[in-house]
Amino acid sequence: MKAEAARAGVSAPSFNWLLGQMPLVALVLLIIVASLLSGRFLSGINITNVLMQGAVLTVITIGMTYVIIAGGFDLSVGSVVALSGCVAAMTMVDYGIVPGVLAGIGVGALSGVLNGLIVTKLGVNPFITTLATMVLLRGVTMLVTGARQVPIEESLPATFNDFALERVLGLPYMVWLPVLIFAVCHWLLHHTAYGIRLFATGGNRDAAFLAGIPVDRIKTSAYVLCGTLAGVAGVMLASRVQSGQPTAGVLYELTAIAAVVLGGAALHGGDGKLYKSVIGVFIIVVLSNALNLANVHSYWQQVAIGLVLIAAAAADRLRRR
Amino acid sequence: MSVEPVIEARGVAKRFTGTQALDDVAFAVAPGEVHALVGENGAGKSTLIKLLGGVYAPDSGEIRVGGAPRRFRDPAEALAAGIVVIPQEIRVVPALTVAENVLLGRLPTRRALGVLPAADRRAMRAQAAELLGRLNLELDPRERVERLGHAERQLVMIARALAHRAQVLILDEPTASLEAREVERLFAVARGLKAKGVGIVFVSHRLDEVIAIADRCTVLRDGRVVEVLPRTALEVERIIQLMTGRDLAELRHPHDRVPGELLMEFEHAAAAPALRTSSVREREVVGLAGLLGSGTTELLQNLFGAGATRASYVLKGERIEIASPADAIERRIGLVPGERSAALVPGLTVRENIVLPNLHRLAGTWRLDTGKVDKLVRTLMDDLDIRPRDPGRPLRELSGGNQQKVVFARWIAGEAAVLLLDEPTHGIDIGAKAHIHRLMRAFAAKGGAIMLSSSEVNEVMAISDRVLAMRQGRLVARLDRGADYTEGTLRKALGG
Repeated sequence: MKAEAARAGVSAPSFNWLLGQMPLVALVLLIIVASLLSGRFLSGINITNVLMQGAVLTVITIGMTYVIIAGGFDLSVGSVVALSGCVAAMTMVDYGIVPGVLAGIGVGALSGVLNGLIVTKLGVNPFITTLATMVLLRGVTMLVTGARQVPIEESLPATFNDFALERVLGLPYMVWLPVLIFAVCHWLLHHTAYGIRLFATGGNRDAAFLAGIPVDRIKTSAYVLCGTLAGVAGVMLASRVQSGQPTAGVLYELTAIAAVVLGGAALHGGDGKLYKSVIGVFIIVVLSNALNLANVHSYWQQVAIGLVLIAAAAADRLRRR
Repeated sequence: MSVEPVIEARGVAKRFTGTQALDDVAFAVAPGEVHALVGENGAGKSTLIKLLGGVYAPDSGEIRVGGAPRRFRDPAEALAAGIVVIPQEIRVVPALTVAENVLLGRLPTRRALGVLPAADRRAMRAQAAELLGRLNLELDPRERVERLGHAERQLVMIARALAHRAQVLILDEPTASLEAREVERLFAVARGLKAKGVGIVFVSHRLDEVIAIADRCTVLRDGRVVEVLPRTALEVERIIQLMTGRDLAELRHPHDRVPGELLMEFEHAAAAPALRTSSVREREVVGLAGLLGSGTTELLQNLFGAGATRASYVLKGERIEIASPADAIERRIGLVPGERSAALVPGLTVRENIVLPNLHRLAGTWRLDTGKVDKLVRTLMDDLDIRPRDPGRPLRELSGGNQQKVVFARWIAGEAAVLLLDEPTHGIDIGAKAHIHRLMRAFAAKGGAIMLSSSEVNEVMAISDRVLAMRQGRLVARLDRGADYTEGTLRKALGG
């Protein structure tokens, strides 16, 4: 026992730290290879494109990281993206931008509350709970929109679309928003008492409870944050495509979970770093962008992302050993 | 020795980065011998077991089985050679039956319809029943293991060892979670195996048990064999002295506290009329004695607001309601639960584990005063001698004794007035145990009140001012310091 502790104490932390930076190393290598393979990769247009693609996913993944650290799981975020985008668009047509945006985000927050309460109060497994709400909310989206995109004509306020187009400091608002959200969520997760409570709840629920932490409330809060951010992502997407799409967000939940895994967070909870999840997002986005530029068929892109995911999970097992 | 040992380590050494875990260790078990292996945590017991069981290979020296040198590449090879390790954590498959668990790895098969390979359930039950019978165990082979308690699961593992034709049985802390009657049954099984010529290695912190069962006892300290004691020389004080390298007198303390003001008063639903109300005073340690399942754990959990129902009792003259641990913590009541795994978050750092229940005092709603936290944590780590002295170290990298000190540190950080301690020295070595005892005395001396539950009668008697005895959820006796304050009286009350 003493030997093992000493072994861990002398050499392991620095080595482990290095292994823990594998996602960053992988991303940098990926960027280098991509820019060597295609001259277009580092062009201003493509960089903006990559950042735009990463923006929506980053916002969703930040919420997912919270839920996973709290020991949970959220499969419903993709459906929330669709529902919130449609609700925002429908509301906006009648009442204007601000009520529309708030309605979209509110729908996300509400679905987070729903998930949180089912998981904590009814004690249903998070996988089953959010699988159910994923299907349920997709159904609701189809019902409220009649399975058609809203609105069909360009009746959305023009300024709504500006959000995705207008630039500050050379980049669209759409790219700056995730940066802002990340800054706030990073501080909340890694520098506050709330953050410690969240990690403790996911790391050892019983111990957290005996330390006086309201574990159910903490868990619910993570689902609410995740749902709210999925709502924000839905509104962002609606702004970008200038409509509410009832079929939007399909598979986003799995991509977000993949990004969290690529970032090295533990799926059983209590472990993870927010910035690493974001690195995970960009590994996926840059990889598919680079393969696009190299004219690799999208089916092969899926194969590639699957392989990267397995490699990342295997490397993580190695690190924990 | 005239007979070849069933297993022998000759001059083995094992080094891990930075530490010599074992250094020139000789250890031999004769057929039909119970050989105890004792030492403080970190003395090298686990490493030696892992060498014998094929988990590690020695850096130098050799392992001999039945007189022939062997080099195991993995535990499976050791198992095939008849060396079976029963770890502290019992590994059985709860959803399978007793028979399936006993024969796991060598399940009898038959040909269904003459061709299809199928498990032969009848043969399985018969073989399992035969093995269980050899151990004099009355377990139904068809029972699912999830319905068995810890003690029975352990016996299922031993029956499995028989199925593997064990020549050497290594029991790692087998009695840590057993109550007195179950320990007796385990010892009966061990004696039966001994009579059949099996060599048994018995690793334990409980020295009275070592003395009861062992034929010889090897004492390890800092990776070396200090002494091999024959049965006739087995004596608790002598063993402790060899293990710690210190005199027992240094570890003993006189009892000289004078209890102060009444702090806490609570009622028992299940108790004789004269025992209905119990109280704890400042500077007082009230012991709670009881065997596993006697209700002492439930009583402490309930007082802490972690029980099935909300608690109501008198604290500092005021009747209070405790609905959750948060309420108890607010009233400066702390709980050290029986299982360390229920108290600590292994992935968080030592610092975070210490501040966890005190966050509401150390942080605003959102902002954490890291400067204040750091100063507090460093002071506590010095005071309690938590090693290594690194607040940023993940908790899982600390030894059991140091982890337990972290649980204490968090309540001292929270300036607790009452500490509820459930088996606080369970599974930690004698040095760390003495340290925890000192902490308890210091806490009480400063005006704190302690309720201490322990299944070790001598421990609870030595530290407490008063002892409450519980049996099957009922409070059955109260012993105040005086003429009747003896282990005999308490054991009689516990019915053990």
